[in-house]
Parts: sequence; structure tokens; C-alpha cells
Amino acid sequence: MSQQHKRDGFSRRQLIKGMGAASLLPLIGGVAPFAIGGQHAGRVVVVGGGFGGATAAKYLKRANPAIEVILVEPAETFYTCPFSNLYLGGLRDMRSIAHGYDELTDRYGVRVIHAMAEDVDTDSREVILSTGRHLDYDRLVLSPGIDIRWNALEGYDEDAADKAPHAWKAGPQTELLRSQLQDMEDGGTFVMVAPDNPFRCPPGPYERASMVAHYLSQHKPRSKVLILDAKDNFSKQGLFTAGWEQLYGDRIEWVGLSNDGRVTRVDAGRLEVETEFGTVHKADVLNVIPPQKAGWIAERAGVTDDSGWVPVKPDTFESRQVENVYVVGDATVAAPMPKSGFCANAQAKVVAAAIAASLESRPAPEAYWTNTCYSLIGPEYGISVAGVYRVQEGAIAEVSGGLSPADAPAETRALEAEYAVGWYNAICQDTWGTST
Amino acid sequence: MRSPRPARHDALRRRLLRSLVATLTGIGLFGLTLPALADGPWQRLEATQAVLGGATPSTRGLVLDLPHVSEDGSAVALTVGFDGELEENDYIERIDLFAVDNPSPEIATFHFTPMNGKPEVSTRVRLNETQDVIAIATSHQGERFATAREVRITVSGCLMRNGNDQPEPLSSPRVSVPSSFSVGEPEEIRTLINHPMETGLREGPDGETLPRHIIERFTVSVNGETAFEAELHQSVSANPYLRFHLAPENSGEALFEWFDDSGESARHEVELSVG
Ligand SMILES: Cc1cc2nc3c(=O)[nH]c(=O)nc-3n(C[C@H](O)[C@H](O)[C@H](O)COP(=O)(O)OP(=O)(O)OC[C@H]3O[C@@H](n4cnc5c(N)ncnc54)[C@H](O)[C@@H]3O)c2cc1C
Repeated sequence: MSQQHKRDGFSRRQLIKGMGAASLLPLIGGVAPFAIGGQHAGRVVVVGGGFGGATAAKYLKRANPAIEVILVEPAETFYTCPFSNLYLGGLRDMRSIAHGYDELTDRYGVRVIHAMAEDVDTDSREVILSTGRHLDYDRLVLSPGIDIRWNALEGYDEDAADKAPHAWKAGPQTELLRSQLQDMEDGGTFVMVAPDNPFRCPPGPYERASMVAHYLSQHKPRSKVLILDAKDNFSKQGLFTAGWEQLYGDRIEWVGLSNDGRVTRVDAGRLEVETEFGTVHKADVLNVIPPQKAGWIAERAGVTDDSGWVPVKPDTFESRQVENVYVVGDATVAAPMPKSGFCANAQAKVVAAAIAASLESRPAPEAYWTNTCYSLIGPEYGISVAGVYRVQEGAIAEVSGGLSPADAPAETRALEAEYAVGWYNAICQDTWGTST
Repeated sequence: MRSPRPARHDALRRRLLRSLVATLTGIGLFGLTLPALADGPWQRLEATQAVLGGATPSTRGLVLDLPHVSEDGSAVALTVGFDGELEENDYIERIDLFAVDNPSPEIATFHFTPMNGKPEVSTRVRLNETQDVIAIATSHQGERFATAREVRITVSGCLMRNGNDQPEPLSSPRVSVPSSFSVGEPEEIRTLINHPMETGLREGPDGETLPRHIIERFTVSVNGETAFEAELHQSVSANPYLRFHLAPENSGEALFEWFDDSGESARHEVELSVG
């Protein structure tokens, strides 16, 4: 233990005194940790500063400021996937979906380290960072989001993503896709390859198709959107289809699995894709949303199963496979909860409460979660799906839920578009303390 | 280096148990100390017992691949195949699939011939709820193999849908075959056809039960000789998809036919080239 403390600049000793404040007190050598202050409440390392991780860090501190919380996230600015489709549609700029970590450090006393977690040793309970530093933990929270399963779709590797962006993690990929759209000639076809379940944000591809169609209708009126889907059904399908017809006529074409929509080969150089039964589609802009898995650090920590995702105990989101490791967000198998930012945020609060309780040897409070996924079909046309979840018979179950009405007047759709903005501001405020 | 992973431990324990049983059986103690290892959900279902015909299946060699969790019970991807050992000249002649807790458990029966080269099929099935799926394989000489997998069905909150387009029955038959075969090398064949596969259990918009309307049989022949057959039940998803293998000896005409329970059928012919 003491060895690890030396390797780690932020030793436990250092932090016992500072507690909430970003403690940069001088190290008091040779004094046993528990001698000072006497209030050491445990150290939690959180990997990933997205929706799940940032929320977990903040709510751990809110649950008990005496817990030492270290957040490990390489990026200094986090771009949200939520509303990145609006950027593609020309409704927002990238700055409006950018968030930082100042509130977490300044207000809540979370120690933020901008580095990559490279490995986890769950026996000695330490996280090894890209800087070479080792961080020991009492409890570990992983919220690494998704990683792409490169080559799971033939021809789609990291180089292919430079030509046919996935833009399924917001940032440079999103900007690349936007610039390709802007450079496309009028009359071109935007082809989207949509994946089979499970994947990040079930309605995301269809909101993106809507936003791209919106942009095209304004700037390239002769252009089309073609969605090639590996599924026969998708989230809010009836609502999307009706909205597309109403706003975009036949600009958006969707081809499902049973009509040979599943793409089995990508040729990013030629901007071509081939489907299972041999149809080749040529794109002018090609957006491939490929098969996904839990962020790779989850595999390093030994918490993934052969599906590539992380099974968790439903009432605490502790790993089923490794003790003291809690996993939240897209990386987990939490169905029927979808892989959404809202769910990651809600799960993180449950984890924060469960960890705070376990550090005091109290039982975890009873868990429940809510989720609402808004999607914009047009700037003034919003739809949503909502759910409430509880643990029933040892598994997460949806106990109530609902969808926007099918035949709603334009005012309802316009109101939901406004609510979507309200939701975005609220969740970002809750997660990073910043909104635009 | 890392913490123990119970999943792996379980597998190890099962392996240990199995070899222990083998030893015990060898010395005649089997049954006294341990429950039969061939114990499985197939022992509790009439339909599976009928296929087993009193035989105790081996639990080795038959592989059933399904997701642990599926967010859409209307189409769960499934692959079943045999990679175990058989006597010389024996081959897997049939594989039966069952969904224990569906209104009727039979999913499908696949009939293989030596022309398949590889006894493996992929399809998509309907699962009403969380349950065990069972596969039973029968060899030409009557050896039986069984395996089961539990699948958890959840309907994801974001996957709620309210579209309900019904496909035109027996429309758009699709077949994909490789451009050429080498003798003795099984290659993948994929087929897809549009059909509602109406279960006979669902209500229509007027509240009346919609009559059952499904594809019951699918056959493949090469140069007039049967190569593969499938009997389908209502637990096969709408728009039946089948992926299997063929290893034809000679070039020739392959005929794919789908027959539904209203007496209608669809066919598709392709030229196979072996070179
Ligand atoms: C186009 C699109 C639109 C979407 N719209 C919505 C929406 O409207 N509403 C909604 O609720 N959800 C939406 N989502 C889904 C939402 O983005 C995800 O569900 C959410 O980001 C999941 O949170 P997370 O914490 O699991 O992962 P993320 O938010 O992706 O955070 C993961 C973080 O972990 C970091 N990380 C990964 N590995 C390491 C490591 N080894 N060391 C250190 N850090 C690491 C990453 O840098 C990243 O910052 C959308 C997604 C997409 C793609």
C-alpha cells in the first residue's frame, strides 16, 4: 500500500485533511493516514467524465464530502452526443455542446486527473494511468461509454472511419461528418448504416437522419437520405415515420433488415456498402454506425462477459464478476433501460448512494430510475419516450412508460421540441454544472 | 493478476464435475453420488421427449448461440450447429429447436444431408418471455445430442414502437450463394422471404383473432436431389431468414422453395458452379 501511495501523487494521507477542497496540502510524511482528522471515509476512483462518470463523482461528494473522489478523464472538454445531431443539422455549434470540469473540482472538491486509465488491477485495487501513475481505490466506478467493434462489419476499421465517420462519439468525428455534408453536391445521397441492438442511443440514428434531412432541405434540396438498417423495428418508429413524411416527404428512405437492409461490407474508399443479399449502394456521404461494445477499460478490469458488455447487479450496479467495481452507463447490460445519457446519469446516482452506503457498511437504499429520450424530427417538431424502472424479481423492469401521442397537433410537437432543450440544459447542469 | 471471474470458474467447475462423473461412471458409482449430467430442460418437456424417444442425449458437441439478453423478442438471432465427434460415416441428420415457454414450444426442425457439409443453421425466432431455448440433434445412426440456453427478453424503453406494416406473404424471395464452390468445401447460403408468419394468437385491429398463416416448409434441392429441408412453426420470426451450408459435388441447378399453410408457394432457382 505505502508503495502505491508513493507512486501516486495524490495519496490518501494528503486528502484526509483537505476533504472537500481541492487538497494540495503538503504531504505530511510518516504519519499514519487515520491519525489525522480521523474522518477518512474511503477513496473512490471514477473512470470516465461523461454522463455516468461526472454524475457519479458529483453525487458521491454530495452523499458524503469526506469521501475522496478522483475522476480520471483524458479530455478537458467533453462534447455531448445529445444534441450533436442538432449541430449536424445546423441548429447549434459545437461550443453549445461542450462541457468542462470546473464545477466538479471547485465546488464539489472532486480531484480531476486528465489522463487515460490504461489498466485496472482488481486484486490490489489500483488503476494504472497513462502517465504511469497508480491510483489505489476502495471502490471503483467505471463509466467508459462505448467502443467501436472495429472490423465486426467487414471493411470498417479505424482508417475507414476517417472517410466514413461514425460520429457516435461526439467531437472530431462529428465535425468531420458535418464538413462532408457541407461539401456534398446538391443531388447527392447521404447513406447511413444503422446497427442491430444493443447500441448507444436507440433513437439516435433516426434523429440524425431527421436533422440531416432538415439541413438538406434548406441547402441541398435535391439530395436524399438512405438508411440501411440491420433491424426490422426501431425506437419510436411510427412517430419518426409520420414526422418524416410530414416534414420531408420522400426525402428519407428507410430499408429494414427484411428488405435486405443489413450491410455486411463497407468500402470506405469508394463510399460503397454492400448488403447481405448483394445490393451495392453508392453514397456521397457515408455515415456508418457500427456494432459496439463496452469501453475497452471494462474488459481490462475483467467486468465484461462474452457479449462485450458488463453484467451488473441491478440494485447497486456493482459488477457481477468483480467486487468493489461499479459500472454505469452505456457499458452495462441494463435493458430494458436504454443506453442513454439520461439513464447513465440516473444509474450514477444509484451507484453514488450505494457506494456511500457500503463505505459506511449500511445497506444500499432501494433503487429506481427514470428516463426520457427526446428526439427532434425538425427544429419545431419534437417527440419523446419515457420510462420508469425498478428492480423486480432480481432484474430491472419497466414499471411505467409512454410515448408521445401519434396524432398530435403541431403545437404539441413544438412544445416537445422546447422541452428537449429544457431537458438538455437540466441534465448538463446536473452532470457538469454547465449549461448553455 | 486480476480478480477471479466467476463465469470462468463455473465453466471450470463444470468441466471438473464432468470428468469426475466420467470417472465415477467408469467404476459404476454413477447415480449414487451425483445427479445425471444429461439433466436439462429437455427432460421436462413433452415435445422434446418425443424427439429424444427415450434416449439420453450427450451434452457435448451441439452449440447453440443466442444473446443472453435480447431487447426485441420478436426477432432473436439464433445459430445452432454441431462440432462434436461422430462415428465414421455418421452425420447429423436433424436438429430440432424448442422454446420452452412459448404458447407452442416447437420452433423448427432442420433436416440435413451429407450435401450440407456442415450441420449449422442460423435463423431468427420469436420468444414470448425470458426462457430456455433447447436444441436437440439426431445423427443418421440415431445418436442424440442436446443443449439449452437461457435468453432474457426485455423490451427496451427506447424500443417502443407503434408501426405495424404487414409484409406481402411469400414476396421477394432472396437467395445469396457464393460465386463458386470448391469440392468438399461447405459454403454459406443465405435466404430470406417476406411473410407475416401470423401466429394465430394475435388480435387484429377489429379485435378478432387473426388466423394462423405461416410458412411451414422450406426445401433446397440441387440437380433434383434434396439437400436441405426446414419445417417451420409460428415461433419463427416474420420474414423467415435461414442461413446454412452447401457443399455440392457438381455444378448445377439449385432450387429453393417455400410452402405456406394456405397452399401457396414461392420458388427461386440459382446456378451453382463447382470448380
Ligand atoms: C448521436 C447521439 C445522440 C444522443 N442523444 C441522446 C439524447 O438525446 N438523450 C440521451 O439521454 N442520450 C443520448 N445519447 C446517448 C448518450 O450519449 C450516452 O448514452 C451517454 O453518453 C452514456 O454515458 P456514459 O457515461 O456511459 O459514456 P460517455 O458519456 O461516452 O462517457 C464516457 C467517458 O469515458 C471516457 N473514457 C473512456 N475510456 C476511458 C479510460 N480508459 N480512461 C479514462 N476515461 C475514459 C471517455 O473519454 C468519455 O468521456 C446520444 C448518443 C448519440 C451517439
